[in-house]
Amino acid sequence: MSAETHALLSIDQHLALTQTLYREARLLDEERFADWLDLLADDVHYRMPLTARRFRADRSAALAGGAGYVFDDDKGRLGLRVQRLESGLVWAEDPRNRVRRIVSNVEIYRAQTDGEATVHSVIEVHRSRMDAQQRRLTAARTDLWRLEGGGWRLVRRLIGFDHPVVIDSNLNVFF
Amino acid sequence: MTDYAGLVSAAGAMQRRQMYADPAVYEQELERIFGRCWLFLVHESQIPQPGDFFRTFMGEDDVLVVRQKDRSIKAFLNTCTHRGNRLCRADRGNAKAFACNYHGWAFGTDGALVNVPLEKDAYFSEIDKSRFGLVEVDQVASYKGLVFGCFDRNAPSLADYLGDMKWYLDVWLDAQPGGSALIGETQKVELMTNWKLPVENVCGDGYHLGWAHAGAMKAVQSMDFSGFTVGNASVELEGGLSIAGLNGHSVLATVDGVSGYSFYPDNAGILRYLEQNRPTAIERLGRLRGEKLWGSQLNLTVFPNLQFLPGLNWLRVYHPKGPGRIEQWTWAMVENAMPADIKQRILDNQLLTFGPAGLFDNDDGDNLAACTEQSRGWRTRQLDVHTNMAQGRSGARPGLPGDIAVGVVSEHNQRYFYRRWQEHMAAADWRAVPQYNLNSLQDAKDLAHVG
Ligand code: FES
Ligand SMILES: [Fe+2]
Repeated sequence: MSAETHALLSIDQHLALTQTLYREARLLDEERFADWLDLLADDVHYRMPLTARRFRADRSAALAGGAGYVFDDDKGRLGLRVQRLESGLVWAEDPRNRVRRIVSNVEIYRAQTDGEATVHSVIEVHRSRMDAQQRRLTAARTDLWRLEGGGWRLVRRLIGFDHPVVIDSNLNVFF
Repeated sequence: MTDYAGLVSAAGAMQRRQMYADPAVYEQELERIFGRCWLFLVHESQIPQPGDFFRTFMGEDDVLVVRQKDRSIKAFLNTCTHRGNRLCRADRGNAKAFACNYHGWAFGTDGALVNVPLEKDAYFSEIDKSRFGLVEVDQVASYKGLVFGCFDRNAPSLADYLGDMKWYLDVWLDAQPGGSALIGETQKVELMTNWKLPVENVCGDGYHLGWAHAGAMKAVQSMDFSGFTVGNASVELEGGLSIAGLNGHSVLATVDGVSGYSFYPDNAGILRYLEQNRPTAIERLGRLRGEKLWGSQLNLTVFPNLQFLPGLNWLRVYHPKGPGRIEQWTWAMVENAMPADIKQRILDNQLLTFGPAGLFDNDDGDNLAACTEQSRGWRTRQLDVHTNMAQGRSGARPGLPGDIAVGVVSEHNQRYFYRRWQEHMAAADWRAVPQYNLNSLQDAKDLAHVG
């Protein structure tokens, strides 16, 4: 992620990017995965690191091999996940679950490279599953978006997941 | 009073659904399964330095495992001996001492109470600190890197508890010099399932693979699936074995020496590692294990709640949180002899396939949860569930310990798992729990001569 500046985009670029974030959320809610993949740059890098609860003063050695990533996906791997979801054979999503994404606390800054923007946001994913089952997952996102062909494309996303224990029996969802 | 003998019928190959949802059954499990058996605590690689600690569970008991100054490992109940507060609230790390949040009692990494605030003014220096050290887990022992704890002083030694299962565990733990390690952070997922269901899913249920995971298998169909087809249309049964009758422990195994790594999108590097190190594995384990089992897909189950899969390379433990809820903890496993880039690939692939957003793992949770939920209804809970596939078709195989059925699509291992569960639940203490290592290594060697 490029170093953070606090320079703002032009008002219409800012507006277009905000709209793109909301549109992205709706595309996912509506399971329009092909359209979602179109919003991603070809060199997209989509990550969610694993974390642990540690004491603030902890000075223990780094883990061998790093902590690992729940998602560490390029476009090919995201495509693989989409293929699975669209196979018609993922029984956990059939009947479909109602998923609602709420995107909030959006901050948009000009990135160091021209035509790129750093975006901070908070996402809340509501999943309404079997019978009365409700799951609410939250995460902070730090993105890099790039202007390509007149529209904004997602280049990088780092997802800070808020749950030390995943409180749902699967994560068949994108953040 | 629950009739534990009546909940499992080995002869009829069925179980009563009551065992998945009944709080009374669960209470007895905490006492007779989790209070009695050797339970996985940590891998030695996860706490390499003195002062390194790892917070885990034995049943519902919160346990703190700590590497000592002399490098031995101790485990304590993670509860302050003053008023019972949770002592350590971090998942892992390194500490010189543990100070309680509530009134500030501080304990050394050896569990001794070392500091009591206001000791002079409030206790008039009359407190005998030696009486208030942390409560130690009764027994702690390791087997080739895997550290286990046990709350029962009368339990057999860890070595005897594992019995002939050690012979299979060594395929992973001892094939190469330097042993094994767990890497990456702990992957924790809450599942609304009874703890026995994920165990049986992995210990013996090859049946669900082609069906439950059809979506994932279709998406990654470029990979080789060792004879499984999408949608359970057919399966190559000769490609595997279901091995049980080992004190409740069990193994599912393919026997080609490579198919463990067939779920990797690009496994050329790993196959090269296997090829290069095969002679060492054979030298250390003999031909049968070195050639046929090392590199194969193995599902290893150590009763009651530890499972690991060389090949897909994950190790997993299920912590019960009530009759219908668990925390499933997963790590990636590597052999220390592996080059760094292969270790990295393994961590990455394990998370892709069986991590919290794992392409395959994501198909299992709802099934396990629903089997549990459906066992709660008053009428439904009186029904049975069935493990009668390929019953009465097992026996001895030359050179391999255990009672063995052909194929990894079988309910052979589940039958033994529930048999062991029943033996523990019905027994007042360890003296009443039968030990059996069917077709033990000694007999297996004799068979090898005959065959
Ligand atoms: S409860 Fe721990 S110091 Fe009082
Ligand atoms: Fe599965």
